[in-house]
Amino acid sequence: MIWVETLINGALLGGLYGLLGIGLALVFGVMRVVNIAHGEFMVLSAFCAVLLANLFPSVPPLLMLVPVIALSFVVGWLYQALIVNRVVTSPDPLSPLLLTFGVSVILRNVMVEMFGADVRSLQVGELSRASLEIGGLNIGIMPLLTLVLAALLFMALQLILRRTEFGRIVRATADRRDIVRLSGVKPDRVYNYVMGLSLALGAIGGVLLAVRSSFTPFSGAERLLIAFEVVVLGGLGSFWGALLGGIALGMAQLIGLKIDPNAGLLYAHLLFFIMLLIRPSGLVSSRA
Amino acid sequence: MPTRTILAFSGLVLAAVVAGAPFVLNEGVLRLATECLLVLTMAQMWNLLAGYAGLVSLGHQVFIAFGAYALFLTSGWLEVTPIWVLPVAPLVAAIVAAIIAFPLFRLRDAYFSIAMWVFAEIVGAFTMKSQAVGGTSGMPLATSKLIDFDWFEPTMFWLAGALALGTIAALYRLMTSSFGLGLMSVRDNDLAAMSLGVDVRHNRFVAFVLSAAGCGLAGALSFMGNLFIAPLAAFDVNWSVYMMFIVIIGGIGTLEGPILGVIIFFGLRELMTGPLGLSGGWYLVGLGLIAVIVMMVAPRGIWPALRDRIGVRLLDVQRAAPRSSPATVASTVSERSAV
Repeated sequence: MIWVETLINGALLGGLYGLLGIGLALVFGVMRVVNIAHGEFMVLSAFCAVLLANLFPSVPPLLMLVPVIALSFVVGWLYQALIVNRVVTSPDPLSPLLLTFGVSVILRNVMVEMFGADVRSLQVGELSRASLEIGGLNIGIMPLLTLVLAALLFMALQLILRRTEFGRIVRATADRRDIVRLSGVKPDRVYNYVMGLSLALGAIGGVLLAVRSSFTPFSGAERLLIAFEVVVLGGLGSFWGALLGGIALGMAQLIGLKIDPNAGLLYAHLLFFIMLLIRPSGLVSSRA
Repeated sequence: MPTRTILAFSGLVLAAVVAGAPFVLNEGVLRLATECLLVLTMAQMWNLLAGYAGLVSLGHQVFIAFGAYALFLTSGWLEVTPIWVLPVAPLVAAIVAAIIAFPLFRLRDAYFSIAMWVFAEIVGAFTMKSQAVGGTSGMPLATSKLIDFDWFEPTMFWLAGALALGTIAALYRLMTSSFGLGLMSVRDNDLAAMSLGVDVRHNRFVAFVLSAAGCGLAGALSFMGNLFIAPLAAFDVNWSVYMMFIVIIGGIGTLEGPILGVIIFFGLRELMTGPLGLSGGWYLVGLGLIAVIVMMVAPRGIWPALRDRIGVRLLDVQRAAPRSSPATVASTVSERSAV
């Protein structure tokens, strides 16, 4: 029974991991850039939420998601407009990688200097401990809500990309950056919105993860690796694959922690590495 | 060729400077110089992979750690002075690289980079769990009592100097050989290179293994100087950060670039943490800012931009396209393929 519970909790955690990965997958899918600073931006949004929660103690901490998401969108827009757009068309595929890695190092150390290296978390009071009992299984409300939210966001994103004018423009830009200009689309501007959206999604994941487990300015690397593993496991460019990948990683992590309490992310990393060996194309065959 | 003579001569002068430096410099400066030379070696090795083979590794700290741990463990088992078991370090790092190359080479670009990082994290996590190598708290160099401490700092400096000079000389030799030409042609256009019969996979593999071996040796020397090793220091992603920033700022894909990069790297560090009294965090922020600005303004780094402006070529491995009649071009090509 305890193993079933572990598996279910792993799946719920996986919803959160899916959220971490989706922002990264979106940017990669549209502009072929792996944003290495994604993890640091997630940690930054968690710091913002903690700061806001301390400033306004009477407001429920989870409501802080709203301003943090808005802020993240603006930050993402500016980040793309001022920095990433300058290398996005570079003939050298390594340029965006190196540039975003540089940004991640800057952000990490600015956070260390500004907030200190202490361990923090976002306190949401009773909600974090509340749980449901279904057939003898203890299931946390917060993780359950997170998974539901993740599924809803995945669906919303899918709808936006498939059904709306904006989604059509984004898909067209992803396919042929040079040709969309003929229809009056400015690819750089599309990229700005996509990066804004990506960091906004990252902020949701970052803040919810800060509720679940503590973080430091150094947590960005860990979050990036999880996000990246989710994307690769899920198959590049597949949103539902990302959710599946997240669930697989969440289960691997929690089963690992059951066997070995201080394993951390070791088993999630191992699962990723083994999957890479036996199925490099991901769980779901990709469709860009 | 006159350039060969000049290079050989300056190599001799540099070797003499390295040999004589410990008698002139005080211990603090010597330690710093040793560190500079080791980081320069690592940066050159990272550059071999990123600048010439087009593979950016964010997990190169794993080879530094493998080299260092290999040295500490073998020296402890055999109970001999660590200097005599130094060859073990590059050997172990090279073997590890040769093995993990098989799964990792299926991945391209950013996937390779991050998979390397994940590999480093996995090995780091296992190291922290393994009590045989001291777990999280690390272990001291078991044979440190065999070291002659009167000559320890100078010996470390000589080893680091020999390694750095040897690395640069070897890379220069390598890059002017047909192997280097093949490597650079793959970087510039892998499709065209393949159509001319360049074995892309083999070239990348050799560059990867060499790069790992060099980092393993430099890492072993670095931790031998500390007489202590701990996983958090050995598997620190900052090793990759340093190598990458040095190469990017100085000039990726050039041999002079990392030298310039190391000068800026340590100059800035001594300036910011010394006279300016700033913490290590702000130093990394400053370095990161320089790297990001360089990447946006001069994506190939400072040295290539500078070289084009002042027209100085030091360790240039570029080949000018032959500007003669088609017949001579054909004959040069056949000459090259005969090499």
